[in-house]
Amino acid sequence: MNIIETQNLTKTYGDFTAVSGISLHVPKGTVYGFLGPNGAGKSTTMKLFLGLTQPTGGSFVIDGKRFPGGRVQILKEVGSFIEAPAFYGNLTGEENLEIIRRILGLPRSSVADALELTGLTQHRRKLAKKYSIGMKQRLGLAGALIGRPPVLILDEPTNGLDPVGIHEIRSLIRSLPQQFGCTVFVSSHLLSEMELMADNIGILNHGRLLFEGTLDDLKSSAAAQGCPTGSLEDTFLAMIDADNRQRGGAR
Amino acid sequence: MIVSLECKKLKRTGFKAAFFGGGILAAAVPALNMAFRSEAYLSMDAPPVKILLNANWQMMAMLNVLLIVAGACILYHIEYADHAIRKMRTLPFSESAVFFGKTAVLVSACILLLAIEAASIFGCSVHWFGPAAGLYREILKNFGFFLLLMLPAILLSLAAASVCRNMWTALGTGVVCVFAATMIPAQNFALSLFPFALPFRTFSDLSGSAARNYAIAGAAETVGAAALAILILKIRRSFE
Amino acid sequence: MNFASLIGVEWGKLRRSKIFLILVLATVILWTPSVLNSELNFGMQAEGISPENNFFIQGFLAMTWFLFPAVMIVITVLQIQTERTDHGILKMLSLPVRTTKLCMAKFAVLVLFAAIQILMSVGTYYISAAVASHIQSYDFLLPPLFVFREAGMIWASSIPMLAVFWLLAVCIQTPIFSIGTGLASIVPSVLMINTKAWFAYPMAYPFFVITSEYGRLAANFSTAEIDLIPWLPTAALITAACLTVSCLRFGQAERR
Repeated sequence: MNIIETQNLTKTYGDFTAVSGISLHVPKGTVYGFLGPNGAGKSTTMKLFLGLTQPTGGSFVIDGKRFPGGRVQILKEVGSFIEAPAFYGNLTGEENLEIIRRILGLPRSSVADALELTGLTQHRRKLAKKYSIGMKQRLGLAGALIGRPPVLILDEPTNGLDPVGIHEIRSLIRSLPQQFGCTVFVSSHLLSEMELMADNIGILNHGRLLFEGTLDDLKSSAAAQGCPTGSLEDTFLAMIDADNRQRGGAR
Repeated sequence: MIVSLECKKLKRTGFKAAFFGGGILAAAVPALNMAFRSEAYLSMDAPPVKILLNANWQMMAMLNVLLIVAGACILYHIEYADHAIRKMRTLPFSESAVFFGKTAVLVSACILLLAIEAASIFGCSVHWFGPAAGLYREILKNFGFFLLLMLPAILLSLAAASVCRNMWTALGTGVVCVFAATMIPAQNFALSLFPFALPFRTFSDLSGSAARNYAIAGAAETVGAAALAILILKIRRSFE
Repeated sequence: MNFASLIGVEWGKLRRSKIFLILVLATVILWTPSVLNSELNFGMQAEGISPENNFFIQGFLAMTWFLFPAVMIVITVLQIQTERTDHGILKMLSLPVRTTKLCMAKFAVLVLFAAIQILMSVGTYYISAAVASHIQSYDFLLPPLFVFREAGMIWASSIPMLAVFWLLAVCIQTPIFSIGTGLASIVPSVLMINTKAWFAYPMAYPFFVITSEYGRLAANFSTAEIDLIPWLPTAALITAACLTVSCLRFGQAERR
């Protein structure tokens, strides 16, 4: 069963198309890796899911709720982390999470739980503006994970983390479906990361969905198209390159 | 170079438009006042510039000082909002150079503001009181005086804005200073030397010696405010 | 989440903002000259106002004409910049709370700050009046019922003005325009209260209320009386219009 489904979802800004008629299918209880180079439309798609921007065309359903009517209902079930971490610099990490907890109507213990999950417990009383980049990233993640929501939308969550941090967060994301039964929709431009984390992947380039399926499906599809299949990175780069050439030709 | 860089940084902040709009608004004050109450002013026995400034300058000066405070806040807000100041501090020029670059920009904006207001006073004077000999000189003397007396407020507003990472702290401090200036009685010379109160004084309303004293005070406060700003920047640097 | 809790959340976001320091500084600057010049209150025979009433009214006139509205603009800047500095607004918009409710909670905090600023002025008034009474050996203290009634009137009459300031802060994205327009809008209040159209200018309401009270307290000084019609309907209409537009526009820039 798909927990997130989009039908021809489109977003244009003037004559620029950021997302071009994509139809995604994210199965429940899995990690879905959303891949694409910078500017491919990953963040825009995620913003569409959160109602942070309005679609120009198409529609989407999250856990049976359709946008825009069910926006507040959708947001009750979605923990999110979009682009740069968003927080209040004049508040401590704990106070930032307390705001989110109160709005979501969660029990008091959920703040400590989120801090623990992201390894911020010992820094909880420090002002968020004094956090390092990695700590700000963790605070953003804690804000998404708080209350262990059934759907997590994470936009490049390991940006700015050191290798140890990347490993920790990756392991955490990987374990979430088994631990809490949630679905994770995670974007990245790092192929190696996706290979270790995702059950399914979607590849986006210039707003168009080039591929959707499992990693094995990707390999067979790439082989059929004559793309290299040695490593996921080679496959991805070849697919993007082929698409770019095709688009260039089309112009 | 630094001044042109500071001008470039102000693109799309609305700074120039705000000063231009502010100038037009302040210029409208004497025009509207004359349009509605010309009989009251035409019957007065005094030089036209003096009548016009006495009737309108308090309000015009208030708009000017508020624009100075708001302008200073924006000049430093652009540095703090996206942490551009961090980059500036790593470049090979001193922070005081940035400060005086911003001062030059704000002074230029104030010259534009005063020019629009001077044009309005000139227009009102000619339109309602008729052409008079020495009008240009009188207006130039008055507005030159205004510019000199604005300098300490410009420097201090910028110094406050440079210290405060949050715009509202600088704005709040500026607003409180402007308010304090409005509370100061003009008769008390010592108190009226408060930097934010100086721009409310008019040259034509002061005797020769009083005007000279204010001009000297304005120049001295400008030098003092500049020295204070350099000191503040140095102290802050040593604490970071 | 209920509205009161949301106001609590919004209030909590302004921790460590140093805004109270500015409020205290403003109030001290407001009342210090009144104490220092307290002897002037005995020379108001021409106006026909008693020294204690004059002490009270002059302070509140100074407050309502510029300080109070200007500090309220500073608070709108504080509220908007707190959301924008580290993109806190983006997180808020991705949480299950209606933007209208969020916008109204922020406005409620602004109204609360207005009450705090007025109460601080009342408190400082009593301290100043006590000091002045001691210096001049004359009782400057007015009955609390009268003082709080006036304070309540200032606060209630300031709500439409706050709605206009909130509209400016929400709708004008460029900070210098929202601050500049707000501050510039205060300056003509002194002219507007002398016109017949004062009721159409919300920034003049608190100043008008106090000026009108001055006229009542001073036997030989006449000021315009408060006519509830057309004032109340106009004020209600302006407030409703400003808040409706603010709620519709709130968060729009971040949701493009």
